Amino acid sequence: MKIGVRIMPRNEVLDTQGRAVEKTLGHHDFKVRCCRVGRYVEIDLDESDERRGLDQAQKMTEFVLHNPLIERYELEVIHEK
Amino acid sequence: MELDKRLKFYRLSRSEYERIESLLGRPPQGVEWALFSALWSEHCSYKSSRVHLKKFAFKSARVRVVESVGENAGIIDLGEGERVAFKMESHNHPSFIEPTQGAATGVGGILRDIFTMGARPVASADYLCFGEPTADRMEALVAGVVKGIGGYGNCVGVPTITGQTEFHASYNTNILVNAMNVGVFQPEDKVFLSKASGPGNYVVYVGAKTGRDGVHGASMASESFDEDSEKKRPNVQIGDPFFEKLLIESCLEAMSENLVVAIQDMGAAGLTSSSFEMASKGNVGFEIHLDRVPLRDPSMSPEEVLLSESQERMLLICEPEKFDRLKSIFDRWDLDATVIGNVVSERKVTLHWRGETLTSLDPHLLVEEAPLYERPFKIWTSQNRVSKREEIFSTLQKALGSKSGSEVLKTILRDFRGASRSWIYRQYDQRVGASTVLDADHSIGALRLKSSGRGLGMVLGCRPYLMRWDARVGAMDAIVHPALELAVKGFEPLAVTDCLNFGNPERESIMSEFVASVEAMSEICKALGTPVISGNVSFYNETLGKNISSTPATGVVGLRRSGVNQIPSDLFESEDDKIFLIRLPQVTLGGALNENLCGSSLGVGELDATQLASFVNRTLEIANRFPIRSSRVVGKFGLAYTLARMGRKRGCRILEEDLGRVGITQKEMLFCENLYEAILVLPEKASGNFLRDLSTHVEAHYLGSVGGDDLQIGEWISLSTQEIQKSYQQGWGETFEALA
Amino acid sequence: MKSSVVGIVRFPGTNCDRDVWEAVEAEGHRARWLWHADLFDVRSVDRIILAGGFSYGDYLRAGALAARSPVMRSIQEAAARGTPVLGICNGFQILCEVGLLPGALVLNTSMKFIDEWAPISLKATNRYWGGSHFSKGTKLNLPIAHAEGRFYTENLQELLDRNQVWWTYENNPNGSLGSVAGVMNREGHVAGLMSHPERAVAEWMGCEQGKLFFKSDV
Repeated sequence: MKIGVRIMPRNEVLDTQGRAVEKTLGHHDFKVRCCRVGRYVEIDLDESDERRGLDQAQKMTEFVLHNPLIERYELEVIHEK
Repeated sequence: MELDKRLKFYRLSRSEYERIESLLGRPPQGVEWALFSALWSEHCSYKSSRVHLKKFAFKSARVRVVESVGENAGIIDLGEGERVAFKMESHNHPSFIEPTQGAATGVGGILRDIFTMGARPVASADYLCFGEPTADRMEALVAGVVKGIGGYGNCVGVPTITGQTEFHASYNTNILVNAMNVGVFQPEDKVFLSKASGPGNYVVYVGAKTGRDGVHGASMASESFDEDSEKKRPNVQIGDPFFEKLLIESCLEAMSENLVVAIQDMGAAGLTSSSFEMASKGNVGFEIHLDRVPLRDPSMSPEEVLLSESQERMLLICEPEKFDRLKSIFDRWDLDATVIGNVVSERKVTLHWRGETLTSLDPHLLVEEAPLYERPFKIWTSQNRVSKREEIFSTLQKALGSKSGSEVLKTILRDFRGASRSWIYRQYDQRVGASTVLDADHSIGALRLKSSGRGLGMVLGCRPYLMRWDARVGAMDAIVHPALELAVKGFEPLAVTDCLNFGNPERESIMSEFVASVEAMSEICKALGTPVISGNVSFYNETLGKNISSTPATGVVGLRRSGVNQIPSDLFESEDDKIFLIRLPQVTLGGALNENLCGSSLGVGELDATQLASFVNRTLEIANRFPIRSSRVVGKFGLAYTLARMGRKRGCRILEEDLGRVGITQKEMLFCENLYEAILVLPEKASGNFLRDLSTHVEAHYLGSVGGDDLQIGEWISLSTQEIQKSYQQGWGETFEALA
Repeated sequence: MKSSVVGIVRFPGTNCDRDVWEAVEAEGHRARWLWHADLFDVRSVDRIILAGGFSYGDYLRAGALAARSPVMRSIQEAAARGTPVLGICNGFQILCEVGLLPGALVLNTSMKFIDEWAPISLKATNRYWGGSHFSKGTKLNLPIAHAEGRFYTENLQELLDRNQVWWTYENNPNGSLGSVAGVMNREGHVAGLMSHPERAVAEWMGCEQGKLFFKSDV
């Protein structure tokens, strides 16, 4: 099963990349209230139980994928058609 | 009870509270707590060190000091219209918590200190101390810090041209990240100060919006780490080098059009320190409307706005009629410039928030009236001496056992403490700015000054193993060693910045080392005529009761008046060149190898500042008078290691009988350290009368000649240049496998 | 050799602009700034250089945000008229992003920023940049300084066949496909190079042959 990890800068932390993208979009007359840039990681696991899969993905995320000081994350099971 | 809790939260002592009460004539209220907490913190007020730092003050005959301690950075005059601003600062605590952002914001902060004054930042240097490679998180800390320094410096476009990296168990839970920056004023550039003036002038906020980053950071940097530190952690400050680059260009542009009356970086304690310090220095007051400060998060409280350490912000004073022009410059660079208040003649800073007056305080109370402590210390006495030099050699002999000289040397070259740091500096842009003459691959960093074509040299100092042996010697060395490194390359050492990293000053042993260091440094600086023009004190480098080795890091800046393309090489260059040793051996010690093998070092002798200064001066004279092809100061691990580092390209031949004349009669002595010695290499043709010419200058000896593909030192050492290079380059990867 | 007007583009975050300015003026040309937010009269410049640095902080992808700037519309217009355009480092990345040059520059295989002297050798001559000063096989030692410099293209062979591969690394420091250090468009007047010639224009810098890129024979 595939698990997706969406990693985003924590709201209270300055997102330098988001700020730069937001400004550029604004200069091209796109109306953007706020833009934040994160990362998306797909992990393909040899696992069929969703709970266990999410559990493993959470361990991996906390182990290395995200930096708790500046980022938060969300996990999701990817259902492929 | 309630009071005790508050005092703890704001990190104020009871006596400090009483002092505040008597200064105000009433108890502090509201945001005043936060103001006093921040500005009276060790970090902002230097309350434990100020008494001693005064010893650094003297008038130098060597160099004209334009600005000194008390401003954002110090400035010296190089003549021909060129001036340089430089300073070094610590970012130890934040880097231990989040190494990449901690180191990055350290670089950002020191850059702002430089361009705030009107100088364009042209070169950076970093002094790093890490723990043992096997210590918890250490690989990640090393990788993170290097990434942070490189990421910021490279993007902002300021080359990192030199550095120093140390390792020792005392830094396992408290690494040191000290960043230095140098900026140049061209002849037409004006110096800008932080002294506010002109009632009616605008107080203008420029740069990034304010967020909750690092609230209470300054007071946190002023106490020891404990298990709670994790919880007390303020939001990590995020540095944005891209934004900083825009800030540099816009500020320098505004300054070149003379639109700025005074300016200061919002660094530690953010808006609080910049506003109160600027007002206090100018003997004026401010009316500030905190609700006009551009915010990233509109739900912030006034206290948070005051204490935020959001990066890339400046506070400046501007005449009202010039504001439109100022604003158009910042607009063009896509930055905010917002009037948040104005200057008033009465010396009172009044803070407004949504129609309410939060406080109105004389800025002197927070700045000038900060407490001053004379922490107890003991007069320094020599440490770790042995009665006879022979004891040092025999100790080393025992520790080395039956190892051959070649084996010992190879081991040192491969040890992470002796191996090349190229893994680090390859990640730094060393050439942006197109001025770099000597990059981080060299023993000193050097730039070519654009206007005059002269060479500007910079090098860092402080060898922590010497500090551990004897703080007085170690601190004096933190000046002499870099000064000598400049001198052997023909650069006249001119002035010094320092970053005094120490443990908890409330401990007598630490305070004693601090006082001994400051005294030793000021003594040698006076003798050399190289004033300390800027710096920073970082106390409380203590975690769970363990203190770091006292580490007074320094940066010394020097000037080479001509021939930037004729600077002596660090390496042996040409067959048959002649190798000489000049020396003033005042101290002999087992040194770095001794400490690595035995845990501590033994030594004899004392340093004499006057004689050392004259040795440095004579070395400089020699470097400028003779056609020196290669040169190097004999440093850690002694003569053999120094020769090996010079012999990475071409070998040399040194005979036992020539070593004998220097007094080196056994292999262990090649690994001892004498303070001070330097190697000078001359083309054969020019070397004929060299010793005779030098005899009135310094003690000098002939050592041997350059040549071949091996380093041959007596019967004791025989290593090919290839083996030397291989060991020297492999060492890092063998220690930091994950980083290789 | 005649003097020409060289437009140097300044994006927010460009940091080699002043270095290129000095290198250009040292060769007797007149340099002028081209500001990222402005269009310019394409007849007012004889050549255009996009200097290195970190335009828009290299956020999102190196060169991506800069490629969408107004000034790039003028540059595309100028390129269409045949005005020579050189992109150095970040400038190279931007020219790839707007499609004036083939390929893309991605993260180095080491995943780190690399600063070093990297020898390169000339694969195909370019009459607009360096011109007759270099011939096939010419070797130069120029500094590189980048994190995203690994050249990638889906059709390297095609580029080689059309003599669009300009310079290659001698020992491929960043993992570039085909060791490519620089490429040009089919006509040759738009070129990109990861190395920094403006940092090698004097003996004291360690090499002075970089100045040959800023001379002009055309």
